[in-house]
Amino acid sequence: MKGIEFFRNVSIGRYVDVDSPVHRLTPVAKYLWLMAIIIPVSVSSSTAAVLACSIIALACTVLAHVRLGFLLRGFVPVLPLFGIAAVFQALLSWPGDASPILVAIGPASLSMREMMAIASMALRFVAMMLAIGLFTSVTTEGDTARGVEDLFAPLSLLGFPARGFALTIAVAFRFIPIVAGEFESVVKAQAARGADFGSGARGPIRKARAYLPLIVPVTIRALERAEALGEAMEARCYGVGPATRYVRSVGSTADTMARIGAVMFAVAALAGPLILGLH
Amino acid sequence: MERTNIRRIVVSGALGAVSAVMAVTPLGYLPWFGGASLTIMHIPVIIAAILEGPVAGAIVGLVFGVTSMVKAATAPIGPLDPLFANPLVSVLPRLFIGVVAWGVYRLFRGKLTPLAAGLAGAAGGITNTVLVLGALGLTAAAQLSGTFGVATSALPAVLATIALTNGLIEAAAAAVFTSAIITAWKGVEGARGASRLSDEERRQP
Repeated sequence: MKGIEFFRNVSIGRYVDVDSPVHRLTPVAKYLWLMAIIIPVSVSSSTAAVLACSIIALACTVLAHVRLGFLLRGFVPVLPLFGIAAVFQALLSWPGDASPILVAIGPASLSMREMMAIASMALRFVAMMLAIGLFTSVTTEGDTARGVEDLFAPLSLLGFPARGFALTIAVAFRFIPIVAGEFESVVKAQAARGADFGSGARGPIRKARAYLPLIVPVTIRALERAEALGEAMEARCYGVGPATRYVRSVGSTADTMARIGAVMFAVAALAGPLILGLH
Repeated sequence: MERTNIRRIVVSGALGAVSAVMAVTPLGYLPWFGGASLTIMHIPVIIAAILEGPVAGAIVGLVFGVTSMVKAATAPIGPLDPLFANPLVSVLPRLFIGVVAWGVYRLFRGKLTPLAAGLAGAAGGITNTVLVLGALGLTAAAQLSGTFGVATSALPAVLATIALTNGLIEAAAAAVFTSAIITAWKGVEGARGASRLSDEERRQP
């Protein structure tokens, strides 16, 4: 199996340990701004909203002293995708497209509206990349889990198990390197015993069964570890008595204003284009 | 260990981690001929739903969806990754995989466990394929038609073809894996549950 060495170092995000106004925000503020950017970018059909979100993401990146190239590194491999999409848009034209033609070579023509569609698609993706990449750059793993609990804390008054949910996320984070290490050791052990995953097997059922010696042991061991962890938690009286936490995040007025600002921005980005009739 | 809140939390967390690792490393993709590959990252979601109920399945589905969204947004590799950066495509459909798998498992629970687990796995796989392709079609019709090079009106037919070919194969693979893992876990559980004393008693002549 290719590349069996790097599994142990897998990580979802890349935290950059720098001091900046953005880093100093509480996790809840970071989550609110993340959603204030992601939700309009995913849901809104207005290019103006996407543009606003991109600008905000850009500003936050600069404020956080994170290098832009670091976050946008992943964009280069997908450039060909947008190029191909542009080519196909040029070859097929939309019915009822009355916008001015920008480029015309023979039967292929790229109209303004098609160009805007491609640009909008690319811009949405850039905004997502910036927002999500920036969030993982300014938030530690522990803060990510604690932030989930703080974020859903108001809902716990209605019975939503915010603490349990946040604990699930924290357990998942803690288990990721462990599970990755298990995968690596199982792959190596099976390879040492001459197992060859899947080559030469025909048919979906047989091919899937060739991977069973890898997936089943890792999943079973993950479940066994989970059970041990659960017993340890029970032995330490988890769930009995009031819940306390070691790390508390204290927010300043600037932080509260940041939170309010995020909500207001999201509302404006979603409702603004509708009200103003922007495109 | 009886079914408690703690158990649901840790099992969801552990299976969420398995799903996340599958999503981030090449392990989640089984190579299939023709350059395409089958995903198996939805299988921990199904396992969580079968073992701990629909809520656990939904949570692991959430972890799976968010992980695939973060990966698509920060380290995209394939042509469809920019579309998966949209949470409506990557997160929302995945919440239902566990619920459907749990429902199917409950329906067939009286019968043979491997069969029930296999059917639940297949149902979960089909849910994943149908809902994700549906979300792609609804949110990204223009981009998809550009990528595949077909007119927008032909898109439903293209998606349906993918659903049938890729989806059925993935459902079969999911059935195999789910059935194997659930039967293995039930066996492990039974063996560890028996106390050592009862072993000793049996061994006495």
